[in-house]
Amino acid sequence: MARHKPMIHAIALLLAAGAQAAQPDPAIRNFIACPIVRDTASVPCWLAEYQGELYFLVLQTDVSAPVNPPWLGHRVLVEGRRSDKPRICGGIPLEPVHLSVIAEPDASCNQMLPAEERYNLTFEPPRPPGPSGGKLAFNTLPMPAQPGAVKSETRHYTLNYDFNGLVNFKHPFQLAPALETARAMGATHVEIVGYRGAALLSDGTIVPEQAGLAQRRAEQVAELLRGAGLTSPVYAVRWVDTAAAPDGVEDYQRRRVEITLLP
Amino acid sequence: MRLRQALITIPLAGTAWLYALVSPLAQGAGAPDRWWGPGEDRTWPQRLDYEDAQGQIGVLRDGPPLATHGHPFFTALSANGRACVTCHQPADGMSLSSATARARWAATGGRDPLFAAFDGSNCPNLPQEQESSHSLLLSRGLIRIGLPWPPRGEDGKPLDPEFTIEVVRDPTGCNTSKEYGLNSPRPTISVYRRPRPVANTKYTTHQNFGVLPFIGKNGLPAARDPDTGKPSAMNLMSDARAPTLKVQALDAAATHLQMAAPPSAAQLAAIVSFESSLYVAQSRSRTAGSLEEPAGPSGLGPAAMQKGEAGVLGNNTTRWVIPMENKWKSLPRGHDAAENERNAARESIQRGHDIYMFRTFWIRDSMHLNSVGLGNPAKRTCSTCHGMHMTGMDTANGWMDIGSTNLPWAREEPLNPWNANKPEMPLFKVTCKDRVAPHPFLGRVIYTQDPGRALISGRCNDVGTIVMQQLRGLSARAPYFSNGSAATLREVVDFYDRRYSIGYSEQEKQDLVNFLGAL
Repeated sequence: MARHKPMIHAIALLLAAGAQAAQPDPAIRNFIACPIVRDTASVPCWLAEYQGELYFLVLQTDVSAPVNPPWLGHRVLVEGRRSDKPRICGGIPLEPVHLSVIAEPDASCNQMLPAEERYNLTFEPPRPPGPSGGKLAFNTLPMPAQPGAVKSETRHYTLNYDFNGLVNFKHPFQLAPALETARAMGATHVEIVGYRGAALLSDGTIVPEQAGLAQRRAEQVAELLRGAGLTSPVYAVRWVDTAAAPDGVEDYQRRRVEITLLP
Repeated sequence: MRLRQALITIPLAGTAWLYALVSPLAQGAGAPDRWWGPGEDRTWPQRLDYEDAQGQIGVLRDGPPLATHGHPFFTALSANGRACVTCHQPADGMSLSSATARARWAATGGRDPLFAAFDGSNCPNLPQEQESSHSLLLSRGLIRIGLPWPPRGEDGKPLDPEFTIEVVRDPTGCNTSKEYGLNSPRPTISVYRRPRPVANTKYTTHQNFGVLPFIGKNGLPAARDPDTGKPSAMNLMSDARAPTLKVQALDAAATHLQMAAPPSAAQLAAIVSFESSLYVAQSRSRTAGSLEEPAGPSGLGPAAMQKGEAGVLGNNTTRWVIPMENKWKSLPRGHDAAENERNAARESIQRGHDIYMFRTFWIRDSMHLNSVGLGNPAKRTCSTCHGMHMTGMDTANGWMDIGSTNLPWAREEPLNPWNANKPEMPLFKVTCKDRVAPHPFLGRVIYTQDPGRALISGRCNDVGTIVMQQLRGLSARAPYFSNGSAATLREVVDFYDRRYSIGYSEQEKQDLVNFLGAL
């Protein structure tokens, strides 16, 4: 499985040679690293090391959390901003932070740290371990409401993606409203535009997403909407596969698909 | 007595209780026969109770007593002589235990329609009179499921799967058969799976939490009810190939019943109506006594299933997965030894519940669990995955890979010169194509006894994923897991302990077994 790892290195090095860019903000911490999980007396916390410093990424969360933890066995692209808040689990918190699991397995990413009293998370009440709401539990997302009477006007939706990612478990809650609204308003045309992004790492390296991903994203969304039964509108599917120049700050927002519903 | 005598000759390790269960003498005067055969003229009452491995299973039915004569669920609709009831027996929690299969073999000399060559044997081309040709049904309660390769979409057209598949091991001969196998004129992959219980269906077919037009695990379109267009919870079958009870009945009619033409609309409606009227749960524990006492836990017993709210996510603060209300947390001891023993058993069930809800362990490398936002690993509990209120299922789209069919975790026969047993299950080599990312936890090459959902979706990430089952009526329907690889509830617990390096104590294991057995 490690045979795919050099590929990312090669891309990164290749781009690093000719694509150095100035960091817009010294607090930005964008890097690719092995995630580290540290146990605590309550929920585990996720960390990553960059240039000799340990950063706190996220607590163990639920499906509906805004940021989901990475995976051991895979590296993670961290796109975050160092905060001035106290360390959590020994790491400097990154806020905001966006995490993208690198698809290729990497068996070297396997660090689990034991719980230490000095890293206890003092949450009251303690976060329940089961499928539960409550403090530090992330309440399940409300099911998308069925749209009632919908004005016959143009609607826009944006799907954001993990780095190099296609549709995943987070997208049903974004796709469903678009689908239901299209039905309710009787959309006659659906315009879909896919975009490919790139990430500017803190060491100046630019890592683009896979070539052709904009097309795959756009076509997949069209296929999903049709597959869910939205077959009557005319689809116009386009893509922009030239990754916009990354700025290291809003790169995660450029990995996207835009959906426009027309009456 | 004939049945009793026959059973004595069957060498059944660890199933001493079988004799007690299938013996007509053991059931008590007036108790209904355990076996409900096709075409019988009987009345299905509102309540049925049968002895099972850990006490008694209860089957409740909405509506008045039902005359089975002529009812399509109970009528052989084709020449093979089977009916729905053949594989969905009330004494087995509306599923079919391997113990019952063995009892039927003994009682009929293997001539019961249950053992139809098409899928009640390891392969139709085997000598059907031989017990060995039905070994998977007799030993593990497995029915052959022949699925087309490549998979077909909803429109019946072949999909372009993300992986190639090869047969590595074929102990039944069916996957390499020129007539039935992967290279036959109709390329087919035979996998072997347990019949699922047709009861508590308001939970398995709900339209509540988690049921969206897009699958919560991967964002792809959910299967829809062909009649209404509504998305399905996709929780009925182990590979989620049937979105509704009606579609499942049609699938079963074409395969298990070998009907040349589909059942009529009226027959389908009657089957679905009957299946939708049944509630199953353990009603009595051999050691803990009644599970239905008014002062006891509200989540136990079949009446609780009848009253429960369908399709909602359980939690551990207000709406528990299995409501126990700590009723059996600490019970008194007195001078009555029997009562003390009963109370100790009840406390064990409560402790098992608490382990289920609160005992954390590291869940790692489980596709569609660790990959859906919890992180890998996730320090969670049994109830994280088994979270649906009352059933312990996933609320929707409940397929995951816990390793029950994928290597290296699936139960495999140890191969060495001192072990005379041979592998029973087929083994497939799945290779994910270069155009897709490798499986995140298993890489590009996966060995599996059953690709599970991937045989329907064609997706690499679905290899070995199986829709989790409801946890009700377990004591009546061993063995467990879709491939029948756990003969007992203890083996289920041992599997999880091994798979996730949990390190349960002996007491914790026993408490969990007692809890699961009381559901």
